[in-house]
Amino acid sequence: MSRDAPAGAVLFEAPDDIEAINALYRDRRWSDGLPVIPPTLERVERMLRHTRRRRHDVVARIAPGYGAATVQHIAINAVLAGCAPECLPVVIAAVEAVAAPEFNLQGIQATTNPVAVWVIVNGPAAARVAVNATHNCLGQGAWANATIGRAVRLCLQNIGGALPGEMDRATHGQPGKYTFCCAENEAANPWDPLHVERGHARERSTVTLVGAEGTMNMNTHCKDADDLLRVIAETMMHPASNEYCHGGEPWLVLAPEHADILRQAGYTKASIKQRLWALSRMPARRMSDKDLLRVRASRSVELGDIKPDTLLPIAPQPDDIWFIVAGGPGTHSVYVPGFGNSRAATREIPDTH
Amino acid sequence: MAKRGSTAVVVCSSAFTTLGRAQASALGNPTLPIAVIPHPFGNRTGQEVRQIAEQCLRDIVALTGAGAAIES
Repeated sequence: MSRDAPAGAVLFEAPDDIEAINALYRDRRWSDGLPVIPPTLERVERMLRHTRRRRHDVVARIAPGYGAATVQHIAINAVLAGCAPECLPVVIAAVEAVAAPEFNLQGIQATTNPVAVWVIVNGPAAARVAVNATHNCLGQGAWANATIGRAVRLCLQNIGGALPGEMDRATHGQPGKYTFCCAENEAANPWDPLHVERGHARERSTVTLVGAEGTMNMNTHCKDADDLLRVIAETMMHPASNEYCHGGEPWLVLAPEHADILRQAGYTKASIKQRLWALSRMPARRMSDKDLLRVRASRSVELGDIKPDTLLPIAPQPDDIWFIVAGGPGTHSVYVPGFGNSRAATREIPDTH
Repeated sequence: MAKRGSTAVVVCSSAFTTLGRAQASALGNPTLPIAVIPHPFGNRTGQEVRQIAEQCLRDIVALTGAGAAIES
């Protein structure tokens, strides 16, 4: 039985039984396939104490259904996901970011591509809510990583209406669509952290949202900086790629050990991007005939007449390549290919105390 | 375009009509005409594409009532 709750949400009465409530959520397709924490009035109120925003403020309209993501709706999904209440400001900032026009949430939500929404946390908030930036930071185990990413996905599904097989047309999807969240390992980053590079004060906290098509591990023991960048660039180069097709925004997660090799050789962020961009240019002939037609349709204005010998850059400009430093010890960096038709969006996380 | 008073039709492959209908409703136009073509489209021969296009044109005419305008 349901009745109207404070505006916008619907209050359901249900048996005080976790299995029965999860069965309801499964049948209504309000979950991501994993058990949820029932968003009781008490839990939602406790969550809402961690934001100064008014509960009925509309943070964003979420494509493709354009549902209104009010602060309260976001809080409900944060409870479902198992977020600690102090994570709510991070989730709200992330929802704000996904609605940025350049992020192209409409495309990301409805595409056949497997686009996950990667949440990168920078600044003091990362430590305050314990977002993992080191060992296994892209994997399981850290509560904040698991639940913040999950809350964002539940907002996209429950408020945005993108249900798999219906408005979400992903052919396979990917595991990152359950959750994909980490912090940057700023202590191990020898250059400016991501949020400073993107124009924010070091003492501020931000989320940066990236439309990520997957992760490709690069296990290289190379100790020569120039050769390291060559190996990374050649890993990024692949013909069945939305980035090469449209001119994308590729991302990397550099291991602290790899970052240190590059720093010691005198590389800056800008010179790393320049070298990766130059070395990752791919002969157009590596594309299939059909895909080359798509490349020409998408990039002729940018690149002119595209012949088989034309070197296709992975991104329009070197500055369209981005990276963070994250992870624990080990010789692994990660290539995160993007959707091609999306650009990352950064929003500040307000202080709440 | 429909909201501006123009006749508007969406051409949609069969695998995407659910998305098309849902989005039309979400954007306030649940009766937006949708002409459906078979999916997938990219692996068709030129002859098949022509046949699909001719059928699609007949569907668009029927959906928009443009047949009367053409005849007159």
